[in-house]
Parts: sequence; structure tokens; C-alpha cells
Amino acid sequence: MRIATSTIYNNQTQQIDTLEATYQQQGQELSSGKALNVPSDNPTVIAQDLAVRADSAVSTQIGNNLANLNNELTTVDGALSSLTNVVQSARQLAVSAASDAITPAQQKIIATQVDQLLQEAVGLANTQYGGKYVFTGTEVASSVPPVQTNGSPISNVTAQANDVVQTQELPGGQQIVSNVTLKQAFNFGSSDGSPDVFQVLINLRDTLAKGQVVDYSQQQVNLAGTAINPAVTTVANLLAGAAPQILATPLQPDASGNVSINIATAGNTNGVNVTFLPTDTIANVIAKINAAAGPIGVTASFNAKTQRISLTGTGTFQVNDVPSAGSGTASNFTKAFDLTNQADVVNDVSTQLGDIDHTLQVTLNARSVVGSTLQSAQTLQNTESAQVLNDTKVQSNLEDADIAKVVADFSATQTALQAAYGTTTRLEQKSLFDYVQ
Amino acid sequence: MSFFFPQGTFFGLDAMTTSLQSFSVAENVTADNLANVNTPGASRQQVDFNEATPIVGSPFMATHVYGTVGEGAIIGQIQRIHSDSYDALFRGASSSQNYFAAQQQQLQAIQATLGDPNAGINTQYANFQASIQQLVAQGPGGQSAAVRQSVLTQAQALATSLNNAANAITSQKAQTLQQGAALVTAANGILDQIAALNGQIRASTAVGDSPNTFSDQRDHLIDQLSQYLSTQTSIQSDGSTLVTVNGQALVNDTIAYHLAPPVVGQAANGTPTFKINFQTTSAAAASQAGIPLGSGQLAALQDLYNNKLSSYGTQLDQFASSVANEVNRITTGGYDQNGQPGTPLFQPIVSSLPITAGNIQVGITDPAMLPVALANTDAGTLVQPLNSANNTIDTSAPIDGNTSFANPPAADVPGPGGTNGALTITVDGQTQTFNYQTNGTVAGANATSVNQFITNFNAGHYGVTASFDATSQRIVFARDPSNEDLVLRGNQQANASTPGFTISDTPNAGGGAGILSALGATGINGVQQNGTNAFAANDNGGSNAMVKMFQANVGVPALETQSAAAATAGTAITVALPAGNNNIQVGQVLTIDAQPGGVGPQENVVVSGINVNPASGIESVTFTPADNHAANFTIASAQVQTLTQFYGQTITQVGLDAQTAITGTNTQTQLASNIDQVRQSISGINADEETQNLIKYQNAYQAAARTINVLDSLLNTVITSLGVP
Repeated sequence: MRIATSTIYNNQTQQIDTLEATYQQQGQELSSGKALNVPSDNPTVIAQDLAVRADSAVSTQIGNNLANLNNELTTVDGALSSLTNVVQSARQLAVSAASDAITPAQQKIIATQVDQLLQEAVGLANTQYGGKYVFTGTEVASSVPPVQTNGSPISNVTAQANDVVQTQELPGGQQIVSNVTLKQAFNFGSSDGSPDVFQVLINLRDTLAKGQVVDYSQQQVNLAGTAINPAVTTVANLLAGAAPQILATPLQPDASGNVSINIATAGNTNGVNVTFLPTDTIANVIAKINAAAGPIGVTASFNAKTQRISLTGTGTFQVNDVPSAGSGTASNFTKAFDLTNQADVVNDVSTQLGDIDHTLQVTLNARSVVGSTLQSAQTLQNTESAQVLNDTKVQSNLEDADIAKVVADFSATQTALQAAYGTTTRLEQKSLFDYVQ
Repeated sequence: MSFFFPQGTFFGLDAMTTSLQSFSVAENVTADNLANVNTPGASRQQVDFNEATPIVGSPFMATHVYGTVGEGAIIGQIQRIHSDSYDALFRGASSSQNYFAAQQQQLQAIQATLGDPNAGINTQYANFQASIQQLVAQGPGGQSAAVRQSVLTQAQALATSLNNAANAITSQKAQTLQQGAALVTAANGILDQIAALNGQIRASTAVGDSPNTFSDQRDHLIDQLSQYLSTQTSIQSDGSTLVTVNGQALVNDTIAYHLAPPVVGQAANGTPTFKINFQTTSAAAASQAGIPLGSGQLAALQDLYNNKLSSYGTQLDQFASSVANEVNRITTGGYDQNGQPGTPLFQPIVSSLPITAGNIQVGITDPAMLPVALANTDAGTLVQPLNSANNTIDTSAPIDGNTSFANPPAADVPGPGGTNGALTITVDGQTQTFNYQTNGTVAGANATSVNQFITNFNAGHYGVTASFDATSQRIVFARDPSNEDLVLRGNQQANASTPGFTISDTPNAGGGAGILSALGATGINGVQQNGTNAFAANDNGGSNAMVKMFQANVGVPALETQSAAAATAGTAITVALPAGNNNIQVGQVLTIDAQPGGVGPQENVVVSGINVNPASGIESVTFTPADNHAANFTIASAQVQTLTQFYGQTITQVGLDAQTAITGTNTQTQLASNIDQVRQSISGINADEETQNLIKYQNAYQAAARTINVLDSLLNTVITSLGVP
């Protein structure tokens, strides 16, 4: 075949161009470590690569979120652990105080200790993580801590918080609970009306400090979804057969249709009788008790929030159901309002142990919830880490150059290129003209 | 007996003179070949020597010197060694090579502009998702203004990267036109030169000359022309060449038909198209399709404009419109931190135009105004605990006669028992109905347990999601823009998604007190989320909904409308879309739905044609349903893939196109080079060969000159030695 002179040059140029392009491509793969630098490098996997990169970015963020959640929940768990200690300490104090051997002076000292525990509990309720109050649900924080105390000594506790349980949505449809509410941890604003940690501690402290005894409803007396409004609700509303039923144990009047009780103290063993008419509101009932028993040192109150009645005396006293005038039978007031038979300090403190145990149970429940959430958050974090790792691996498979192969190819190309250079110069320096004389 | 016939004294000298002249010409031709060894398009010329015809004289001469011995060597012709058939092959390959090379250049530029996979829109979209995920977690820093800000920043980064990509594509399209105009100018120059050469060749041929150089120049010019577009040639009897593209003459004899610079016309379906016409094409015909260019750089530009850049641009626009639609649906369905109804996160830059990749920005600047809180039933006042006293609800147990409930419906017995009726859920101004039946002995009862009620209610995709909160023993209803089906969307059409909702209960006659009564409520209003109520503004329902949306298949591009006309099974129907929906393309899958209440079946149809009204810009789609659909049936893009997958497809397309161009360039360069090699093996000039010729002719010339010398000395002998001293 004839070879035109220009063909030699063109061929050599083209071969060298091709080799240099390959050389450059392989050089880029080696220097970047990646075989997939632009979509055209491998269009069949680019969509997968983009998806993996996106997934990796999101998974990394979720991993960070979960790590953060883990830290937050650990803080919450720490607070709940301290709260458990507080409540258990209070219980021990109550048990030791519930003894006739303890003098009123010693009771006052124990009361101071309980007050300390109360303040500690308030501090725990304001636990923060990263500037965020951990027990306030989704409430927007103001400049002051959400849980505030009123009075000195503390008479009640208010909170700017809600009961919203937040969930975090994870890709793949998983959801993870990310907070514990005041209600869950402190029984604050409980659905069943049982006292919260603060109220329990305030009651215990007051009982011990004032040397007073309290006879009060051991549980809230209303049915769930109903409530006694002291100003509106009448005795008639509470009677059996009234609709809707409000009291868990409806009030059974005596044969006269009235309700009577007798309040007796150590100084007045006969006691005083108080009779309530069906038309009396609960506020009237309280007023009647105070009017009759006040002179012998016993006062009454109704807590609308906890739906309990309390009778407070400076010493031991007794409340009993008695027939009203002209009646042969007695009503069941003490049973309906769940009053204990006898109120003295020891009995009173012992009674409060039930409340303490209840709040302790609530707190422990919250801890177990946090514990399991923490565990699942950790598992998920591991899963996400594995996911990120896997994404990285897949991304590496899709993108990375096979270095060994590219290095081999690179040197092969280099050799070819050197050969091409050599050939070109040799081909080009030979010409018949050199031999023309 | 021998005869002697006298010969001309100078016969030998005459013959040698002819030869000398011939060899001299041959040396000149060789010199010309050598001079043009690097000239593109030059064909080697070969000198054909002929023996000079003997002088024909009287009889017997043929057996003697005259008529037997030639008159030396003369040049028959100076032949141009060339094969036209390889020209056509080469030009075809050269057209293709230039086609792919031009595409490769532009597509590599597009790839670099898009930046994927290392940077670019996908990265920004992933970052945006990650920022939402961070918002879901309500990171540290209290009310997470920083995280909210980061969502806005990432959203703007996404919008900016879309803007950049769209601008790059727009400017590359403009560049395509400019480059096309420049190429047309160059091509027109070549056409003129070919026409002029045709004239010269015809004139030379007419007088019997062989216009080798002109032919070389002309063929080379046609080679060059084939870089721009596909050419066909045919040599006419007068020596001129007819050059055509797709049967239309570019050069006929000495007339060049100039091309007009590329213009953007409109295809029948309204999409702008790049086309090139002849300058002579009348204005009326300017709306025609233009010259089919075949291959070459101009065809490459046309293909880039019509089928690649425009398509990428459309897909980016589709992506942008769908991202904006899906995200905005959630933000406008929520409340911001101040308890105000949410606004769209993504808004158009030019508000009168629909959102496209080039026309998208973040419309919210204040982090507190990022609406990610969704309306909930306020658990404190609107829905009471389900349980009675201290019981705990077993959500999988039957509702009817369940004493754990405060207000259970009557126990199941065949016939009466339980409760039944309809919930009316109003979202975005659309009323939707959920029919319930709690009596498990009735076939199809869909609310026998709390779990079943929740599952079936949520499966209705009413835009409201129910869930059971075990802590408060309540059912919580929450606005959920991620739980809306295409029926709701189609009916809602262009109406903004709204954050509120209501649910009312209509028990059937004799159907008991109703399900809401059993659930502890009479009627439900979605309560807006802000700091003043039990569910505060830090609710992260909106960001949860976005996380769900990122994982879900969505319709691309955003399309939510209704057809006023009914559709008949098997009959094509054309529906005008709302203004701003200009992204639907032929082949796209649409989901068409029944009206709420189930008048007709839902099905997927494929768009068989689109048409754009040139005056209003309103786009119409044509499709053929398999079922009948009553008037006002809904139309939406089929939800077949996630946004990430959609964008991945676009990038795959870009990558495949670029790869095809790269591979095509390599293959066609090799092919053109091979064909050229064959062509050159015939017509190419080899310096060595020419050197040999040079020596050959030189030697011959020397021999001839030497012969003259000998003949001269013969004559000299006769003149000086014979005769009278």
C-alpha cells in the first residue's frame, strides 16, 4: 500500500493524541482516586451514585441527630435518676418521721430536709440540655425557667410546659420519641388527679413542719372526665343516681335524705355534728365544717385541682359518719370522699407514703421509657452509622478507580506513548532526500 | 538488393529535443508534487509519457526509420491521481466526526456546569434534606433559630444552584445560535469559492485542459463543507460539481445557494426549535421545518438545541416546579413560630411567571417564619381521654361494648349495636367523607378497634392523620400535607394548601351516638400551633412531613387539575392545562382519577400529544383513557419516582449523551482517518516516491542531453570531416 507522506505524520499525531487523552484520563483517575468524575464517565451508575450520595448526607445528619438525642436523653435520664433519689430520700424521711418517738422539734428539722428535697426537685424540673429545657414539651421557652415556685416556704409550683410528646420521623418510616414531659416524669398535671412530686413534698413538709394533722381523701374522688366544681356542684349532684355520675363512690344519704358527720378531737371527745343538705354546694359544705369544727381546731378545704377534701387539725382528730336528726341510718360521706378514720401525725405521714410511692412509680416508669428510647436511639445510631459506612462503600465501588489496574494501565499507556514518540521521531527523520547527492 | 532511403539529418536531434522537454516538464510536475507534499487536498499528479508517433510517410517507410522509430517521448497527459468514490466516504465520516466532536465539547461543558456528582444540584438537594432532618431533631440551641436559618440557607443554595444550571443552559443555547451563525458564514464563504472554481473548471474543461489544481481545491473545499453539514456531490458532464444537502442544491454550477443564520422557530407542539433555512427561503416558508442538515457541526448544534439542551432545561424546570410544589404544599399547610399560617418556602423570582429552574428563590427570610408546625387537635380541650376511670385502652380490642371506654357504643349484636355514620373532613376548602361502621358483625366494618379506625382513616389520605397518644389516652388528629391523595390535590387545583381543618360527625339514623362521641369529642377543629396553646409552635410535624415527602414518589412536573369535560373509554381527549403548566411532554404518564365518591376508576394514561396555544401559551395534553370518566375528573402527574430519582435520571441522560458523543468522536475520528488513509494511499504525495521520480527524470534528462551530445558529434563529424577541406 502506498503511504502518503502526510499520512505518516497524521497517523502519528493521531495516535499520540489518543494516547495522551488516555494518559490524561488515567492521570486524573489516579490523582483524584475516582473513576467517576463526570456523569459521562459511567452514565449507567450515575443515578445510583447520586442517590447514594444524597442518602449518605441525610444518614450522616440523622446520625448526628441521634448522637445528639442520645446525649439529651442521657441528661434526662440523669435528671430522672436524681429525682428518684430525691423521692426515695423523702420516703425514708417520711418513714422515720412516722413514729411517735420523734418529737415535734425533730419533725421540724425533718421538714427542713424535705423542703431541701423540694427545691432540689424544682431544680431538676428545670434541667436544660443545650439551652433547651428538657421537660417542657414543645412550649416555647421564655427568659425565666419554666418551672416556678410560689411563696416562701414554697406553697405551690407552676410550670409553663405542655404534654406534647415529640416524635422524630426517620426516613423509612421509623419514628422515635424524643422527649419526656413534666407529666410523665413528675406526674405534673396528671390525668387521674393524683398529686405531683412537688405537691407530695409540700404536703409532707407542711405536715411535719406545722405539727398539724390532716385527714384527707386518699385519692381523687371524681371519675375520669368529670370534675367537682366547689362553687357549682351540690351535694345532690354527688348522690347516687344523679347524672352524670361524678364520684367514683356515689354519696348515699341517710334516711332523712341528708348527710351528717361528727368531728371529734382529743379535747372534745363528743365532737361536733355537721349536717349538709342536698342543696348545699361543696363550698357550703366546707364552710359548714369550718363554722362548726373551727372552734375545736379542725378546718376543712377542697382542692379542685386534685379533687380531694382535706381536714386539718392541730392535734389528733376523728371524722365519722353519723345519722342526721330524725334519721336511723348514717350516710357514707367518709367513704365517698375517701377519708381515713383517724387523723394523727403518724397516721397522716404514713398515709402520705402512698402518694410518695405513686410518684416514685411514675418517675421510674418515665425512666424505663427513657431507657428504652435511649436504647433504640443507640441502635438506630448504629444502624445509621452502618448505613453511612455502607453508602460510603457503595459510593466507593461506584466512583473509585481500581488503583492497581489504573496504575498498570497508566504505565502501559506511558510505555506506549514513549514508543510512539520514539517511532514518530525516527519515522520523521528518514527521507530519501537524505541520500540525494 | 537493398534500398536506401535518405533520412532527415536532424531526425535524432528532434526526437531528443522532445524528450528533453518532456523530462523537464516531468521534473516540474515532480517539483510541484514535492512542493505540495503538505498541502491539504493536493492530489499527486503523474506524468504519462507517450512515445511520439512516427512520421507517417510513403510506403516502405514503416519498415525503415520513418514510421518505425518514434519521434522521442512526449507527454500524453499530466494525470491527477484521485478517486472520487473515497471522497464521499470520507466526507460522510468527517461530517459524523465533526458532529460528535461539537456535541462532545458542549456536553462536557454542560457536565462541568452541572457539577454532579461532586457538587451541583444533587448535593444541594441532599444538603437541604439534611437540614430538614436536623430540624426534625430540633437540635440544641433551644428553639433552634440556627437550625431554622440553616434550612433557609440550604433552600436558597438549592434555588441558586437551580438558577445557575438554568442560566448555563440558557446561555449555552444562545451560544449554540451564535456559533451556528458563525459556521453558516464560513459555510457560505466555502459555497462561493466552490461556485467560482466550478466556473474555472468548466472553462478549462471546455478547451480540453485538465484543471487538476482547481479540482483539488474544489474537492478540498467540499471536504471542509462536510464538516458543517452532510453533503452529496455529483460531477456534471461539463466538469462542474453539483453540491446538495438532502437533495437541495447548495452549489449548482456557478450559483451558490447561501444558508441563512439559524433561527428559533416553533414546532407544532409549541416547543422552540433551532433551524437553518436558505437565505432565499421566503418569509412564509420560514415557519417550515428548515433544511434537514444530516450530520456535521451545524446538525450537532441543531440536535444540541432541540433534543439535548432544551430537554435538560425542561427536566430541570420540571424538577424545580415539583420540589417547589411539594415543599410549598407542606409549608403552606403549616404555621410559623408566631402562629401565623405558613407561606410558600419557594417562590418565583418573577412573580408573574410560574416556578422554573431559572425562576425560583426562597421566599422566607425570617427563620421564625419558617412554617413547620402543623395544626393538631388540642388534646386538652377537644378530645377527652377515651378511657374510663383508671383503665387503659387496648387499641386492638373492639370499641363496641368496651368497658375501658368512657363512652363505648353498645356491644355488638347482629343488627343493632355499635355506631355508624360519616365523618366530614374539611381540608383546603374541600369536604371529604369517611364512612365508618364499628359493629364487627356487619360486613366491611372499618372501625371495630381504635387501631383499625386509625388505619382506615389514614388510608383515606384526607390531609389529616390520626394517631393514638397512649400517654394521654387520646386520639390526636393532625393536619398532614404529606397524607393527601391525588383526588384532593386535583380538586384543590391552584388553591393554596391551608393549615386548618375541621372534622364533623354525622351518625346515621339509628346508628348510635357516632364515633366522635365514643372518642370523646363532638366536633374537631385543627388548632393552630403557637406558644399560647397546649401544642406549641415547636411542633415539628411539618418537617416530619417533608422527610416523608423526600422518601415518597411524587408527580413530576407539578400538575394538579381537573377536566371539565367527561372522557370516554378508548377515545382520545384533549384537556387544556392551567396557565403555567408548560412542562408536560409527550410520553409522560398522568394519573387520572375518579371524582371523590368513586364515580369512575383511577387509571394511568400516557400523553400522546401536546399543543401550545401560541397566543395564550396555554398547553393542552391529549391522551386516551381505557375507562369512562365523568366530567371534572382529576389529572395529575403519575407518582412514579422520588425527586432524587428524577434528578438522577436527568443526569444519567446528560452522561449518556456525553458518553455517546465521546465514543462517537473517537470512532468517527478513527473511521475518517482510516478512509483518509486509503484516499491518501491513492492520491497522496509521498516525498520518497517523488524523490525517486526526481532522480529518474533527472537521469533520463541527462541521458537525453548526452544523446544530443553524441548526435551532435555525429553531425560534427559529417560537417567537419566530410566534404571539401
